[in-house]
Amino acid sequence: MHTLQTKHLTKHFDTVKAITDLSISFEPGKITGVIGPNGSGKSTFINTLTGLTPITSGSIGVAEKVELTSIVSNDMPVYGITRTFQEVRLFEQMSVLDNILVVTTCRGWFKSIFEKHSAYHLAIAEKVLKRVGIWQFHNKLAVNLSYGQRKLLEIARVLAMSEIGKAQVIFFDEPYAGLFPEMVKLVSEIMKELRSEGKTVILVEHNMDLIRELSDKVIVLDSGTLLAEGNANHVLSRKDVVEAYLGE
Amino acid sequence: MESIVPQLMANSIIAGGIYALVALGFNLIYGATKFFNLTHGVIAAIGGYTVFYITKKNDSLASFFNQSIGGTVFAVLIGVLCAALVGYLLDKFLYKKLRDRKASPMVFLVASLGAFTCLQAFLAILFTSQFQTLGGGAGDIVTYTIFGGIITEVQAIVIVSVVVIMLVLGIFLKKSLFGKSVEAISDDEHVAKIVGIHTEKIISIVFVIGSAIAGLAGILVGYDTGLEPTMGMGLLLKGVIASIIGGIGNVYGGVLGAFLLGFVENFGIWKISGEWKDAIAFGLLIVFLIVRPQGILKR
Repeated sequence: MHTLQTKHLTKHFDTVKAITDLSISFEPGKITGVIGPNGSGKSTFINTLTGLTPITSGSIGVAEKVELTSIVSNDMPVYGITRTFQEVRLFEQMSVLDNILVVTTCRGWFKSIFEKHSAYHLAIAEKVLKRVGIWQFHNKLAVNLSYGQRKLLEIARVLAMSEIGKAQVIFFDEPYAGLFPEMVKLVSEIMKELRSEGKTVILVEHNMDLIRELSDKVIVLDSGTLLAEGNANHVLSRKDVVEAYLGE
Repeated sequence: MESIVPQLMANSIIAGGIYALVALGFNLIYGATKFFNLTHGVIAAIGGYTVFYITKKNDSLASFFNQSIGGTVFAVLIGVLCAALVGYLLDKFLYKKLRDRKASPMVFLVASLGAFTCLQAFLAILFTSQFQTLGGGAGDIVTYTIFGGIITEVQAIVIVSVVVIMLVLGIFLKKSLFGKSVEAISDDEHVAKIVGIHTEKIISIVFVIGSAIAGLAGILVGYDTGLEPTMGMGLLLKGVIASIIGGIGNVYGGVLGAFLLGFVENFGIWKISGEWKDAIAFGLLIVFLIVRPQGILKR
């Protein structure tokens, strides 16, 4: 079981205070919704926790064992952290199947020179691609997929990481944007499954109905600081949250 | 009167072969790192000068390496390994530091130009700017006549080397997990990192392989025409043109572009002065940049 905690996490870009003194805890077996108006620091928050942006100060606690004052992208699989991106990021010139196989089979660089994908890795790839409903496109290049299919492939990559035990903490950065209703339903089901498997799921989303439906806890960011946290219905009914988020 | 066309074709294939060797390594490194590694040219020269040192300059080593054909092959191997080592060290102590600092492509370009200039000056200090040759006298040159065109033994080795390296490299990158990892890094290095690919180690190996191929190119040029410390820039520019017109980042595209460049250059100067060769090469590059900037083959 993995928890993820931030302690006094701060990220400043020169004079811009993107995140200031954030101390938040994410628990396993729960979906935590992260909301906030545009520019509230949601993306910076995820980027600092996933090694894309270095931390200015503060620390990140992983699984109550490791206290990190900096995190680099290479460390993320080691700490069981993975993510999707607001703007989908795939291995564009590789087939859909290879996008997953390269995740399931990557290991020591020396072994990678001689080893090939095994039936086990292929089975995982087939399983996750079927789960998100894009197995029929497995020979297609990722760059040729539709927007929705690309989103689903990114989610399949997360599932593949989970299957091989490298994803205990999962960030979903606006996974529903641009999806058809049936795809929205599918992604929600996947998130609930991950929760029931004990994963720490963090969902950044603007759709409040989905946040209410899925989140066990909601965190509201405003101007890089923590405005509110707690039960979804309670937090979303707070006047200061409504004012900050909806500008009302 | 005998036709000059067979010899022009032979010259085109030989020039294309040399450019292809440079383009193969350049494309491999560019594919993984997405920057114009200008040091690739001087690494070719380092390969050539390493063989020059152990077979010509240092008398005690030369007596050992020049004893038999096996000695020559061993010397070439040392030259290739030395070029690979320099490529590895450049990556470890220069390019990796820049990657860690998330430097822009312009910074990489300027840094590699600086390293290129330093290494080129180092070669000139060690070996003087005088033209040197690795091969024996003109009387020792073995030649073959193929379809009316004459090629030397070294030139035949160039062609065979290009074909073998292209096929081995192409199959290795296509079939191995290592190749998939290189492709993933090429597409998105950050995502490759977060899914657990050992990006730095793989980029280091890519530098080693690419630099080894450049070293072989420099050695073969040394045996074919000769060496001078400034040879790297000429080789690099032709390799880069070949890579761009063939399809940058594509192993087969680089080779295709190299042979196209070789043919256009050599047939282009059929009726005019050889001084036009470089102008024709860059003219071809400009045409491709306007008409088909992605090159003949896409990555």
